[in-house]
Amino acid sequence: MAASPLTALPPAVLVLAAALVTALAGRRLGHLVAGLTTGLVTVWVWVAPAGTHLTGTLFGFDAVFFQIDPFSRIVGLVFAFIATAAIIYSWATDASERQTAYALTYVGSSLGAVFAGDWLTMVVWWELMAVTSTILVWDYGGKAVRAGFRYAVLHGIGGSLVLGAIAWHYAAVGSFLFSAAPGGMVGTIPQVLAAVGIGVNVGFIGLHAWLPDTYPRPHIAASVFLCVYTTKTGVYAMYRAFPDGHLMIAYMGGAMAVFGAGAALLQNDMRRLLSYHIQSQVGYMVAGIGIGSALAQAGAFGHVFNHILYKSLLFMTAGAVLYQTGEENLKYLGGLARKMPVTAAAFTIAALSIAGFPGFNGFVSKGIVISASHYTFVKGPLVVGEFYTLELLLLLGGVGTFLSFIKFGYYAFLHGPYEGDPVTSAPRPQQAAMVLVAALCVFYGVFDGALFGLLPFDVTDEAVVHHVYHTYTVPHVVEGLALAAAGVVGFAVLKKPLSKIGRVPDVDAGYNPLVFYGTRALVHGVTETYAAVDRAAVGLADRAAAVRADPSLLSRFRADIGGSIFILMLVLGGVLAWLGIV
Amino acid sequence: MSDTLLPLLVALPLLGAVLAVAAGLASERAAAAVTTLVLAAQTGLAGWLGSQAVLDGPLSVGVGGFVAPYGIELVVDGLSAAVLVLVAVVSLAVLAFATEDAPGGTAFYAQYLLLVTGLSGMAVTGDVFNLYVFLEITGLATYALVASAGTGRSAVSALKYLLFGTVAASLYLLGVGYALMATGTLNMADLATELAAAGYDSPLVLASFGFIVVGLATKTALFPLHTWQPDAYADAPDSVSALIAALVSTVAAYALLRLIYTVYTPAFFEAVPVARDALVAFAAVSIVVGSVLAVTQSEIKRMLAYSSVSQYGLVVVGLAIGTPAAVFGAVVHLLGHAIMKGGLFVAAGAVADLTGARTVDEYAGLADRFPVLGGASAVLMLAMVGVPPAVGFAGKWYIALGAVRAGSWPVAVVIFASTLLTLAYFALLVERMFVAPASESVLAATDGGRDGDDDTDALGPSPPSASRPSRRALALVVGAAVVAIVLGVVVTDLGTALEPTIDTLLSP
Repeated sequence: MAASPLTALPPAVLVLAAALVTALAGRRLGHLVAGLTTGLVTVWVWVAPAGTHLTGTLFGFDAVFFQIDPFSRIVGLVFAFIATAAIIYSWATDASERQTAYALTYVGSSLGAVFAGDWLTMVVWWELMAVTSTILVWDYGGKAVRAGFRYAVLHGIGGSLVLGAIAWHYAAVGSFLFSAAPGGMVGTIPQVLAAVGIGVNVGFIGLHAWLPDTYPRPHIAASVFLCVYTTKTGVYAMYRAFPDGHLMIAYMGGAMAVFGAGAALLQNDMRRLLSYHIQSQVGYMVAGIGIGSALAQAGAFGHVFNHILYKSLLFMTAGAVLYQTGEENLKYLGGLARKMPVTAAAFTIAALSIAGFPGFNGFVSKGIVISASHYTFVKGPLVVGEFYTLELLLLLGGVGTFLSFIKFGYYAFLHGPYEGDPVTSAPRPQQAAMVLVAALCVFYGVFDGALFGLLPFDVTDEAVVHHVYHTYTVPHVVEGLALAAAGVVGFAVLKKPLSKIGRVPDVDAGYNPLVFYGTRALVHGVTETYAAVDRAAVGLADRAAAVRADPSLLSRFRADIGGSIFILMLVLGGVLAWLGIV
Repeated sequence: MSDTLLPLLVALPLLGAVLAVAAGLASERAAAAVTTLVLAAQTGLAGWLGSQAVLDGPLSVGVGGFVAPYGIELVVDGLSAAVLVLVAVVSLAVLAFATEDAPGGTAFYAQYLLLVTGLSGMAVTGDVFNLYVFLEITGLATYALVASAGTGRSAVSALKYLLFGTVAASLYLLGVGYALMATGTLNMADLATELAAAGYDSPLVLASFGFIVVGLATKTALFPLHTWQPDAYADAPDSVSALIAALVSTVAAYALLRLIYTVYTPAFFEAVPVARDALVAFAAVSIVVGSVLAVTQSEIKRMLAYSSVSQYGLVVVGLAIGTPAAVFGAVVHLLGHAIMKGGLFVAAGAVADLTGARTVDEYAGLADRFPVLGGASAVLMLAMVGVPPAVGFAGKWYIALGAVRAGSWPVAVVIFASTLLTLAYFALLVERMFVAPASESVLAATDGGRDGDDDTDALGPSPPSASRPSRRALALVVGAAVVAIVLGVVVTDLGTALEPTIDTLLSP
């Protein structure tokens, strides 16, 4: 591959450099530099030639620092683009230049991980991503600090598991390069370690509690950044680890889709609700990766692309509401549609997108995954009519999504008049960021071919995919409308019971105290054991000293002449017996 | 040519003993002078013949007109050369201390030379019966030397040693008898082939092995057959303690090594693995129990004596494991231990002469007052613990290496633990000497016992005889410390010199 200015260095380096400039340049100039840089990177990623660039060695192992293929390109593209939108939003929400600089380091390390061509480079960026995102959370102070600490611990554990997986993988393969192992992780134990380690990042059920714990706490603009990178880098890494899919991962994805949506339905905190939806939506992507067919993987990566658009838009709208009202709880909001029409419209677009309503981008990519689960995956134990197990899970997740966003929209924008302090419309720059992203959500929903062009596999070509996908067919549209109708009916039924639910505990309510008291017990046990050993040793030394101070204690046992010869005879007898003579 | 001079190694000190008695008729100093001359000549002879043996291969000569293969032989190979030189050098060196410290009397010098006769004889003999004869000569001389302190305690200890040692020697002789019944020969080289012919699993051969090992293990003072040793070491005159601690058990351990590998040969261990296991277990217990007993002692000389129980355990473990590295380590530790323990006993004697201090507590603050003596003693102690590059480290290292190579992991653990155990009692002593405030006896010694206040004088354990350590004692202790370190540094050269001997020993 000939050297080209476009492949002279990884995009991550440019973004990290921009982070440094942003931190030093002051708020106005800093955000300008940051936005221009990420905008530039967006174009750069779009036009850079595919292939393996910047090979070298890392810690003495062969490494690839910049690898562009259809998978890394689509993820990198949307990462860079949404960073630009989020920087505009940061500017509009009074974020400090320091926070944006931290956010840029986070963006940079995510880009580094995505464009890595080997496991070692990726895991280095991966760990850096955990560090920078933790700093981004911590920067806000207050309750975000402890949540950030829990986040750091969990991601530290996850990162270590991934590290263990790739070390084991290296032992089996002899190389860290992706190209050396086209089948992904080699061996059962590396696969389990990788699945669980990456599972922390993508929010496997049971490992997901950091999502709703962390994302609602920092600055509203920081949440926009956070909702994009960690989980989606995880999806990308999951693809690298399991390029041929895995049954368990597919079902885990389906379960996540249902669990996340169900848990979201029970939330009243806006950003907490949205965080559960990250898990739910990532579930679709994980299901796509797990199914492993070309159609499913195209759907998964399309969903990564679309999800980043509408989920960041959702966090922006939630942030805008919070910015204007100072209130995060849906119970105390309402009637904001008139006060904040642009925000309400953007929310509506984002909600219809995430729920998969025909005409919006979520409908397109979610449809691909569901189609893949029907045509290219096993039927599974549960078959209802024409619908198979995983497909049913994914559809059920869709109903849950509709339900919870109807709830969100109803309580935030429709329900009753707003009773708080006077509210004005969101500032123009915020509106600009929201409108920009909202327009794309609609664009990719209507012009599905534009999205297909970005996907790693051409889902409309029979030679490439097992089952050709058409977005707008009658059954598919009916399916989307039916899900929406089920959501509306469901909400009408569930509205009353839901309004009575307070804060619902998640698994972290169990494991946080468990870890805390467990660690304390461990420390206590170790120190007490040490103290006991210490006491025993000191006691022994004291006894020895006492014996030494009073030799008569010991001299009682001194053998006299007769005793000595008696012992000698005993030993002789013993030795002869041992030798088998007597 | 040099073969024919071998009998001199035994004859010279034997005749010297007679000469010393004769000279003693004139004056005691003449006896001392004769002894010194004889030992100097012995040292020269041992050095010359030893170097011949190492350079040109083993020397041997038949004695008394008995023909091979039954003949009575004197043999010097690399191993016996090393022991011979050790015996000659150490006895000459300790004599320098003995003439100062000695209880005196012509008889003392005669006994001293007889002891050297016995030890040299054990080293050169190539015949199991003559080994018994020399063992008894050694024993009798030692009993007399222990008793030469002239105190009641020393008499009792000498008697205990006499009875115990005689029984042990008799056991050895019984073992020789069984071997003779099985083979009809007493020559070591001949026995090696005849025993193999008789069959290693024959009860006669096994019984001979058991009796011989128990007899020599008693002489070597392995736990629980050590009971004579602390009493003998503690109650003998200081110079005698130094001599017998350095040499007597050392040569007994040499005899054990010689019998196991020259007479029974490694093939015996192959055929009867329980024999090896028994020896290893025996020695490993010795290492641990000896150290523990040493920690509990308050008297310095007893502590050093129990330390020997532990260190000989280490030597026997090495020779029982039987890999080349382990056997070489055992030889190195045997030689190194003799130097270090001899030096420490001389130091203990010098301290007792100076201050009257004989217990650990009385050693408090010693190094402040006598920095050179204290420092050299500390070097010897640390060398014994096994701090590199001293010889104590080298010996343990090779033994441990051998154990690891042989796959005897429990033994390797015991060996590494023995370092800690040795540290346990010597660290105690070093702490007393260097850190603790001075004891009254030490204070009294440095005050000269005169310009302190009256209380100090009244409470001092014994009136000090001098305020500075004697030059000879100091030279011996410092010399021992230097040799301990130099031996450790040149241990690879020693390995090269002894390699052919050990290879011959270990070839089945």
